[in-house]
Amino acid sequence: MSGIEIDSAAVPEAAPKQGRQLGPLQRFMLSNEFGLIVLIVVFAVVFWTVSPMFLSKFSLYALGRTSAVNIMIGFSMMVVIVTGGLNLAVGAIGVCAAMACGWLMQAAGMNWVFATLGGLAVGGLLGAVNGVVIVRSGLHSFVITLATMSIMFGMMIFLTQAESYREISPVFTGFGRMKLWGVVPPMLLMTIVVGVLLWVLFTFGSLGRQILAAGANPAAAELSGINVGNMVIWCHALSGMLAGIAGFMLVSRTGAAIPSMAGQLGQDWLLPAFLAPVLGGTLLTGGRVSVLGTLLGGFLVTMLTGGLLLMQVGAFWIQTYLGLLLLLAVLLDLARRSYLARNKLV
Amino acid sequence: MIDIKKIATAGAVVAGLTMAANTAMADSSTRVALVPGGPHPYFAAWEQAGKDAAKDFGLGSADYKVPQKWELSLQNQMLESLVTQGYNAFLVFPGDPVGTVAIADELAATGAPVMALAGCLKDPSQAVFCMGTDTGNSAYLGTKELLKVLPKGAKIAHFTGFLVDPNTQLRIDAVEKAAKEGGAEVIQVIADIDAPEPAEEKINAYLAAHAGEVDGLITTAWVPAVVASNALRKIGDKRIKMVGIDHDEVVLGAIKDGFVHGTMLQNPYGQGYLGSYAADRLRSGCTVKKDAPFKSIALTDKFIDSGTVFAGADAVDNYVGSMQKITKDIFADFEGKYLNCG
Repeated sequence: MSGIEIDSAAVPEAAPKQGRQLGPLQRFMLSNEFGLIVLIVVFAVVFWTVSPMFLSKFSLYALGRTSAVNIMIGFSMMVVIVTGGLNLAVGAIGVCAAMACGWLMQAAGMNWVFATLGGLAVGGLLGAVNGVVIVRSGLHSFVITLATMSIMFGMMIFLTQAESYREISPVFTGFGRMKLWGVVPPMLLMTIVVGVLLWVLFTFGSLGRQILAAGANPAAAELSGINVGNMVIWCHALSGMLAGIAGFMLVSRTGAAIPSMAGQLGQDWLLPAFLAPVLGGTLLTGGRVSVLGTLLGGFLVTMLTGGLLLMQVGAFWIQTYLGLLLLLAVLLDLARRSYLARNKLV
Repeated sequence: MIDIKKIATAGAVVAGLTMAANTAMADSSTRVALVPGGPHPYFAAWEQAGKDAAKDFGLGSADYKVPQKWELSLQNQMLESLVTQGYNAFLVFPGDPVGTVAIADELAATGAPVMALAGCLKDPSQAVFCMGTDTGNSAYLGTKELLKVLPKGAKIAHFTGFLVDPNTQLRIDAVEKAAKEGGAEVIQVIADIDAPEPAEEKINAYLAAHAGEVDGLITTAWVPAVVASNALRKIGDKRIKMVGIDHDEVVLGAIKDGFVHGTMLQNPYGQGYLGSYAADRLRSGCTVKKDAPFKSIALTDKFIDSGTVFAGADAVDNYVGSMQKITKDIFADFEGKYLNCG
């Protein structure tokens, strides 16, 4: 489940040195995913040493639940980054989908299953709108999604009058509070299932392979008969649905669909949205995706935030320390790969 | 902005007066976390209140922990972390009256007493009670005070807080009701301005365009009160009368100088102090009385009014004394009224 790519030339870090043939294990040890696992273990030991309560059931459950949402947000950005684009509207779309779901349950009196499907459709539709505008205009997704972020969030505030929807189905809210074996949040399992489905899509699915090809080299993909525009639209629609699922998770967690759940304009989601896939090895230039890396990246970011809170670092310093730790994490990973390659350990 | 020394003095005096009444042994293992929804000057008094309560009642600690911004998920994450850090009692301003219920229930499931402070959770929840200002009553009384210095048929404008705060609608309704009863007219309500930028922009724009049409201002949130006080001072026209809210130095200074008629004091210090005390008593084995005389408000049937009082020019120098008196009065019979400690 490590990095999936269509064009190995786009991934110099994974290329074998001096023509040596690498086995699967050796390749894995050179991957971002392995580096992230090492970092997660190292930081877990550090936080556990500082506070043994870090590994308490309550703490692990809370960590699992928060990371489930952050990883899903990371997936939402990952599926767009794979095309070489960006989706700054993940937060806005996620909140719009969650608010639509809340409205369907509270105002329209819909069953939670249909309300969820309705919210998912809203997320997918808004994502597809982004994709269509990007393809038709030929402008970079950065510009388009920056604009639609404001438009979508503004429309949502106008339509809901900034009111929360609080009459959420108990089944829906129960899911966010459920514990399996006293420590595992079902939300995390759901995220893992979505991750597996994405991995299957990009590894075995025809659509996934076409998306990777379109992201790696759009011109070559067009020549080989792939409709690159359609791939971009598909990716944005998928991104919208994944953002919607992240929004539903938050609604399930809090028991209310709240307009401010992702901050002003949904901007609070942007940090995990970018960090999870980029730390995980998804290339910003497109053509390579790492579902496992995004999962581990999202988990690492959540763990660092939780660990810093646990170490009682002043709340206002957390962002600074988080940034420094993430920079350190990336540099350590770079050093690890350089060392292994220089010493021909793999 | 906030005179911490005065608040600390108030606390010390209240504590001195109340310690004698408190004969029960404190549980030194009690670690109280006082957690607002985000940074706001209103809550600053909780920090001193927690420190004083910890000292006076022998608590392990009573610490003020502020989420770095107003975001429900951040507050939730902080509360989860505080459990892991060993805190075992929680005084929480709900980031959302419904959205915070889930985390409150989870905190309570760890055995920690949870209280909603300054804002309430929507029933049903595991919070033992909610202690805060009866916001509707405060807005009503403040408007009545304003009408005392305005002519019959006066036109007033109301500047208030965030619409997502359930207290805001209560305040709007209460001001409307008081104005109607007093024969005045509320010609403008400006909400969603309990932050410096929107408050500066909207209040200054409104007064620039309509100052001549307004006889009185009522402000029912901290930041609008500060901004409106400054605006009236800048205009320099004492014709417009204003009643503010809370005890920011800017508002108090404007009252002294005659630009503002008075302010409705709330009691955040008392909330933090009494809440910490109650948390410790509950951890020491006390239970909440089944027939405790809680008030009912829109969100909950377990409401304790932490008090409100009008402070005009004659009382502004002694506002600490006013807050002190409120806290002392509530503390005097708190245990007898609300707790079973037999």
